[in-house]
Amino acid sequence: MKGMAEGKLKQFMERRDFLNWFLGTTAGAFVLSVLYPLSRYLTPPPVAESTARSVTLSLKPQEVKANSGQIFRFGSQPALLVNTPAGELKAFSAVCTHLACIVQYRSDLSEIWCACHNGHFDLNGKNIAGPPPKPLEEYAVNVRGDQIVVSKKV
Amino acid sequence: MRATSSKFFWVGLVGVLLLAVPAMGQQKVDNCLACHQSLTDARLSAPTKLFSEDIHAVKGFGCVSCHGGDASDPEMSAMNPAKGYIGKPTGTKIVDVCGRCHSDARFMRQYNPSLRVDQVTEYYSSVHGRRLREQKDSKVATCANCHKPHSIKPPSDPRSSVHPLHVADTCGSCHANAEYMAPYKIPTNQLENYKKSVHWRIMSNKGDLSAPTCNDCHGNHGAAPPGISWVGNVCGQCHVVNTELFSKSRHSQVFVQMGIPGCATCHDNHQILETSDELIGTGDKAVCIRCHVADDRGGKSATAMRAMIDSLRQEYDKANAILLKASHAGMEVSQAEFDLNEAKTALVKSRAAIHAFSVVTLKKEIDPGLQGSAKAFAGGRKALEELGFRRKWLAVSAIIILALVIGLVLKIRQMESAQKGDEKKGA
Repeated sequence: MKGMAEGKLKQFMERRDFLNWFLGTTAGAFVLSVLYPLSRYLTPPPVAESTARSVTLSLKPQEVKANSGQIFRFGSQPALLVNTPAGELKAFSAVCTHLACIVQYRSDLSEIWCACHNGHFDLNGKNIAGPPPKPLEEYAVNVRGDQIVVSKKV
Repeated sequence: MRATSSKFFWVGLVGVLLLAVPAMGQQKVDNCLACHQSLTDARLSAPTKLFSEDIHAVKGFGCVSCHGGDASDPEMSAMNPAKGYIGKPTGTKIVDVCGRCHSDARFMRQYNPSLRVDQVTEYYSSVHGRRLREQKDSKVATCANCHKPHSIKPPSDPRSSVHPLHVADTCGSCHANAEYMAPYKIPTNQLENYKKSVHWRIMSNKGDLSAPTCNDCHGNHGAAPPGISWVGNVCGQCHVVNTELFSKSRHSQVFVQMGIPGCATCHDNHQILETSDELIGTGDKAVCIRCHVADDRGGKSATAMRAMIDSLRQEYDKANAILLKASHAGMEVSQAEFDLNEAKTALVKSRAAIHAFSVVTLKKEIDPGLQGSAKAFAGGRKALEELGFRRKWLAVSAIIILALVIGLVLKIRQMESAQKGDEKKGA
């Protein structure tokens, strides 16, 4: 009778140890499963966050020479920052309205030009020669201190 | 003082009346319109109904400006040749009547300073004008065949017969009429073919009025078919890059020697269909096999160029598909999509570079495209791997949470049973 009671107690103690071990392990794993995504969230991603409406360029205004252009990423699409010969900063979608090639700035013409089919746009983004049927979308450019912020026009 | 001011009043009144008399005289009744409007013969009355919206009526011109005669005379004597009446002009008379004003730069400047005044000169250089003058051919088009008399509107007016959307039908009213054109022994399927073309589709469906219609290639007043050696100049007005590459290629000179037109040999003239990659190579729809066979030098080059274009298109499509999949799954792939734009540009440039008919030239455009596609594909694959990782570990953490809940339930039960055991022992 005593032996039976001891056996039950031993079984109970083993079960309690296993349960404690099980609880400890799952609680530890739970803490890890919370901490890992938290640490991933706090670590900056390799690619800068993109918003569809506004982007702050890594360029300083003084780094963009007059009569030059610079391609930058606006969301997932290329855009073109132009410093006109008159020293005015302008930005346009760099996607040609003809067949979606990437346009570029031609300092010899002071025009935006598409190499694919020789499309020309003036410095207001208007299609002035070649096959593009529509003007380029123009973005608003704001200089805040040392930063150039380009955003979609409302 | 009062008598002086009264005198000024009467002098002023007489002056105003004297000035008003000639003005009243100018607002004469146009007896041509008044009489023709009431005629029962539709042939004679219809023009009066149309004329009020004619650009000439809007600018203040009346019937006599073209037909002569005297609009102030309500009798039949208004149509006396002695009063300059010429009736309905025909043939060269029509050109003379229109040209009387439209060739006079000083006169036209009053109404439209930007309007050209060389239409008559151009017209007599056209096939229409030459046949009219030299062969007295009365069937050829004159001004009034394209600019509908009595309802002439500027080309920018959508109701005008020479508005870009209506030019093809205006030309086709003669050129698509097989019976009318029979004596000239030229095809009459141009309108039918043009309406199957990509140019017409862009103009009519997309509403792009800059797409070419008849007069953009043939000229309007100086209408003539472009010569074989300079058809490229016509297409090159818009397709500059393709024309430049073609003119530097070997085909350019060979085509002239063979007496076949540059662009039209592969793309047709009126039925210019939307191009596809199938046009190049030696397949069923390829245009190269019209002159080459698969085994000659040109055929081999065509096969190689087609393979290059196909490989870039496939790589681009593959990258685009994986990015779409990642994007739809909620992954951030904007950098990879940005990289794919370079591949898209390279693909479009490659299709234009075909016109150089050189494997070396084409390769220069293909290679950056393949690199861009590979970069974008790698970005897409990385995003999908990350998605897989997140899904896998979400399942693992769900199992962990479930196990934790089960463990807690068991622990609570165990604690309760231990408590009951202690209570029994105490009792």
